[in-house]
Amino acid sequence: MNAKQKIAAQSLTGRHPELGTGPVSTDIYCDPQFYERELTGIFRRTWLCVGRVEQAPKVGDFFQKDLPTFGFAVIIARAKDQKLRAFFNVCHHRGNHVELRQSGHCVAFTCPFHGWTYGLDGKLVGVPDASGFFALDKSQLGLRQLALDVWEGFIFVNIDPAPSQTLAAAMGEQGRDLAGYAFDGGTAVFEYEGTIECNWKCMIDSFCETYHVPILHKHSVKETLAGPDNPYGRLIDCRLKGPHRTMSVWGNMAYTPNPVQGLAWQYSPGPAVTSGVRDERAVLPKGLNETRAPNWSLDVAVFFPNWLIVMGSGMYFTHQMWPLSANKVVWQMRGFLRPASNAAQRFGQENAMVELRDAVLEDCNTLERIQVSLDQGLITEMLYHDHEIGLRHQYHVVKQWVEDFERSFNPDHSAQEAP
Amino acid sequence: MPKAERGEKSLLPKGFKQLEPWVAEWVLADSRARLEKRITTPADRIRAFYDAMLAQAPPALAYLATRQLGALDAAEERLLKLLLSLAEMGPAVEWYGKGETLDGFDARRFRLVAQMPDNQTQRIPA
Repeated sequence: MNAKQKIAAQSLTGRHPELGTGPVSTDIYCDPQFYERELTGIFRRTWLCVGRVEQAPKVGDFFQKDLPTFGFAVIIARAKDQKLRAFFNVCHHRGNHVELRQSGHCVAFTCPFHGWTYGLDGKLVGVPDASGFFALDKSQLGLRQLALDVWEGFIFVNIDPAPSQTLAAAMGEQGRDLAGYAFDGGTAVFEYEGTIECNWKCMIDSFCETYHVPILHKHSVKETLAGPDNPYGRLIDCRLKGPHRTMSVWGNMAYTPNPVQGLAWQYSPGPAVTSGVRDERAVLPKGLNETRAPNWSLDVAVFFPNWLIVMGSGMYFTHQMWPLSANKVVWQMRGFLRPASNAAQRFGQENAMVELRDAVLEDCNTLERIQVSLDQGLITEMLYHDHEIGLRHQYHVVKQWVEDFERSFNPDHSAQEAP
Repeated sequence: MPKAERGEKSLLPKGFKQLEPWVAEWVLADSRARLEKRITTPADRIRAFYDAMLAQAPPALAYLATRQLGALDAAEERLLKLLLSLAEMGPAVEWYGKGETLDGFDARRFRLVAQMPDNQTQRIPA
C-alpha cells in the first residue's frame, strides 16, 4: 500500500465548506491600504510573543524585545514580587530610553539623560532635583505598562491597553491542545533574523504547506519530508482551531541520512525533526501529531497572527513575522534544542541549526519573486491545492478579523473590499 | 605552523594528528565565522576538508562524547571546532555541492543574533 492511498488528495478542505474551494484574491498580500487596516484591526489588538520566562528567571532580570512592526522595543522585567511586567522603554520626563542594554540584571532603570529612576515594577522612584518641577506627582509617572501574560513559558504582550481577550482565550483550543509539551527543555537557543521583501503572510505560507517540499527543497528536506510513499509531500492532517491551525507533516522513516547528517543525528541531544526518529519518552500533548500517525516527523502550529512553532519530539523552533509594510517583513527564527550532555552533542546541535537555516534560505528568493508578481498586479488570484488549506484559512481569518474590528466601532461599516 | 603553536605539546588530542594540517584554516571563532567561511570558500576546497574530516569524525565524536563542554583543554577544543566546521560544511557538500544553498539567496541577509557558544557548559545549575 502506498501513501497515494494513505493520504487522500482531497481530504482536508472538504471538512470546511465555509472556506470554499475557488480561487482566492491576492488583495491581502499587496495592498498598502489593507496593510494599514491589518495594523489597526490585528497587530494593535492581538497578543504577540516576546520571549520566554527563562530569559528573566530571577528578580531583577530583564530583557528587551524589539517589535519591528511598531518601531520600538519593550522591556520585560521581573520585580521583587516575582511578577513579570512589560514596559515601553520610554522615560516619562522627555522620552529617552530608560534602559540601553538588551538584557541584564538591575535593581532599577535609570534614564541616562537626566537620571530619572524607575523600579522593576515600573514605579517612578527617583527624580534628581525634584523640587524644581511643578506639581510633580510621581505616583502617576511610572513607566507605561503593557498587558503581559504567559502561555507554557512563552511571554506575550498586547499593545491594546484593554485587550478584548485574555491570552488563554486567545490561544484557545490549539493552546490547550499543545500544553504540556516540554517547551522548557529547549535551553540551547539560537536565533536568526532577516528582512525579506515579501508580505508577512507569504512568509507564514512557506511553513503552512509541504506541497512545495519535493520541488523547491529537492536537494535538502525532500528526502525526509516526502518520499516514495508520499511523493507530492501531502500533509498527514491539518486542523483548524479558531484563527489558528496545526499542520502534521509526514516523515520518510525509510530515509538513510547523508554521512555528516547521520553523525549529527547520532550525536544529537534530542532527535532531529526530520530524522524519522521519535523520542519515545517525550510526552506528546493531544494536539501534537493528533492523528497519532506512524509516519510523523513534525507539526507546524501557527498561532494567529504572526507566530508559529515547528515541533518535533526532541526539538522545536519558533518563527515570527513582523511586517514593516505590505511587502516587507522582519522574520525571526528561534531554535530551542535540548542541552548537550557531552561535547560531541554540540556537533549535532550545530548541524541541526545549519540544516534548518539552509532550508529557510531556499525559500526566500521565491518569496521575493512572488511579491514582485503581487505588487505589479501580475497575479490577482491564487489557486490553492487541498493541502494548501492553511493558506486559504489564513485569508479568511485575516479578512474576518479586520472586517469584524471595523464593524465593531461602526456597525454600518460594510466590508470595503468584499472578495 | 606558528611558533607559539609548535611550543604546545600537540595541536589536537592524541590519535588525531592527521587532522593537524586543517587546524589553521578551519578552527574558527564561532557559528558566524563558519558560515562566512562556507560562503567564501571554493567548492573543491570545502570538499577536501569534508573528506578529510569525515574519515576521522566517528572516532573524534566518540572521543568528545567522553568530555564535557566548558571543561575541554585547548587541543580538545580545537578538535571540537574542526567538527563544528564539518557540521556547517555537511549540507554544502551533501545537499548543494557548493557553499551557497539552492537558488542562491544571500546567506548574509540572515543575521545570527543569538548563537550557542562553542565550548560552554549547557548544564542547568541545580
